This record gives sequence, structure tokens and C-alpha cells, in this order.
Amino acid sequence: MNGANFSKKFIFNENIDSDYLYSLYEDDYQYIEEIFQTTLAHFNEDLNSIKVAYQTNNISELKKAIHKIKPTFGFVGLPLVQNICKEFEDICQKATSSNDLSSEYQQIVVTLAESKELIASEYNKLKEFNSNFL
Amino acid sequence: MKWTCVIVEDLQVAADYLVKCCEKSAVLQVKGHFINVEEALDYLNKNSVDILFLDVEMPGATGFDLLDQLAYYPKVILTTSKSEYAYNAFEYNVTDFLKKPFTYQRFQEALNKLTAPAGDNNITSTATDHIFIKCDGKLVRLNNDDILFIESMGDYVKFVTADSRKYITHNTIKNLEEKVNRQTFIKVHRSYIININKIDDIRENDLFIKGNEIPVSKAHKPDVLKRLNII
Repeated sequence: MNGANFSKKFIFNENIDSDYLYSLYEDDYQYIEEIFQTTLAHFNEDLNSIKVAYQTNNISELKKAIHKIKPTFGFVGLPLVQNICKEFEDICQKATSSNDLSSEYQQIVVTLAESKELIASEYNKLKEFNSNFL
Repeated sequence: MKWTCVIVEDLQVAADYLVKCCEKSAVLQVKGHFINVEEALDYLNKNSVDILFLDVEMPGATGFDLLDQLAYYPKVILTTSKSEYAYNAFEYNVTDFLKKPFTYQRFQEALNKLTAPAGDNNITSTATDHIFIKCDGKLVRLNNDDILFIESMGDYVKFVTADSRKYITHNTIKNLEEKVNRQTFIKVHRSYIININKIDDIRENDLFIKGNEIPVSKAHKPDVLKRLNII
């Protein structure tokens, strides 16, 4: 967010909304790297909370878990995934048991796993990019 | 001088981003980050802060539960990813509502709302039965019924309460006249506002409250007499 590296240009994966990222962090790539790193550091724990809540048929906790992870995707330039989480959260709102949302759950788990891979890949690219400019 | 603030947020990346925004603003000092209401409440009830950045849904109690339990009321900026909370935000009189993630520009807009005129004179809340005053680095709640009178001390005023305590804050009688509950308080002199329910007796141009002699100016005396239940 310090705008000190305007001469650099990092090419984000096409699935990442780079304009959205720049609107949040300008082109402070060091900080974007930190954001991706922090996101990855907590991702498994948050994803696991979703899985445990679903498997134990705890809809209330499932809603909370998906609500918690939702904005994470906005912070890493994946607002579409954030919206998918929002839709799933809305579905949870109406569900009374895990069985009511099994297909949606399977879909979102795949989406989350793919998103994690993408975030990890972008993190590694950012790390390399930033190390070349130090 | 910087505003002190606390961040209550269970999502680490969001908390880190908020800290970064606060640092960039150069007007905020982050005193702590808490990931749940219980820890935040424990800190906030021992330490007064100016601003609270507050997530709503967290493990256990919600951000609104925290506001319900706080002994004082700092300026609150809600940070959540659920716009449905906007109505509750309005009900709790929060200063702003930031939907995560938010840009730094949006964060600045929220800060600008904190500097609105109503918040800059050390009186932070004027409910009908109490006020909050900034005193000794904290916000202190004073119930109207506990206040005997308010005395001018130049650029400061002194609140004297029924238990003989004195609270000094940076303010003026002129400003307070507009802020205090007018059913309970009345200005009797350019240097005094008194609690009309606490007068023990009036003699000539003075009135007495719990042994304190307070002058009543000629200009204000008719208004004071009108307010008394003289039979």
C-alpha cells in the first residue's frame, strides 16, 4: 500500500482480478505477497472447519465457517469465489441438515481446493518476483 | 495526538490489512487485535480506546454482543462481509460500516466520519439519562442523576457528583449547555450549570447544593425560579 514500486509489473493469473487487487493494495507487491502468505497460512484450518461442520451436520457452524473464509477471497483478488461463498452461505441459511446441501457442498469444496492451489501458485510467483527486485 | 483503536477480527488477513490501513493513516494507534469478543471485552473494560474496528460474526459471541456489554461506548466502525448487518449498524449508532475487503480510500472515508463536529468536544454521548465525558484518558459515564453541577474552569469544566467526586474535562459551559439534558440541567450563571433536582435552597442570588454555594446571575434567576415547584 505504499505505492513505492510503480515501475514493476507483475502478471497475475487470468483468474485473479488484478484490477481489484490493485484497488486494494496499489502495486505494493511485497504486501500482496504477505497477504497471499497469510491467507495460505490459515487456509487449511478454515477449510477444515467447513468440512468438520458439514460432516457433523452442524449447519450453524457450517454457516459461520463459510462466512469466515468468504472475505479471504476478496483479499486475494478472487471476488467471484467470494460471491460463490456468499451463495453457499445463503443456501446454508435455509438448510436444516447437511443432506439438504450435499451437491452444493461438493461443488464448493472443489472450488475452495482449486482456489487454494491458485493462491499458492501466485504466492510462489510473487515471492520470486519480489526477490528479484530486492 | 493519535486516536487509539482496537481491532476485533477473527480473520487474520483482514486484521493485518486493517493494521496496515491504520498505520498508513498516521492518525491511529492500534492498541491491540483480538480474535473473539471475550478477549476484546476483557481488554476494553480495563483500557479505554477512542475507536473500535469491529467484526460482527466471530466464534462465540458477536460484535453486537460486545457492544451490549461494553461499559463505555467508543466510536465504532463495523467491518464485516455481510451487508445485511447495515440495519443493526444503524441501530447501534456505529460511525460507519466497511464491507470486507475495502479499499484504503473507503477506509479513509470512514475515518473522515469520525472527525464530524459532534465528536470533537470530549462529550461522546448525550443519551437522555447520562453522558460520557473524556477524563484522565478514558471515557467515563456519568448518570444525570449523579451530577450535582458543572463549573467552568476556563477551557475546562468540572463535573461535581453526589459522591463528592470531581471530573475535569476539556470543554466549555457554553458548549455543554447545548449537549446536556435540558429537563434536568439549567444554566444559572455563565460559569455554572446545575442539576435542577438537586437544589437544597435558594437565598438571594445564590443557591445551595449539598453545601456548595453557587451564584445565580440576575439574567438567569427568573428561568431558575420558573423551573422550581414553588407552592
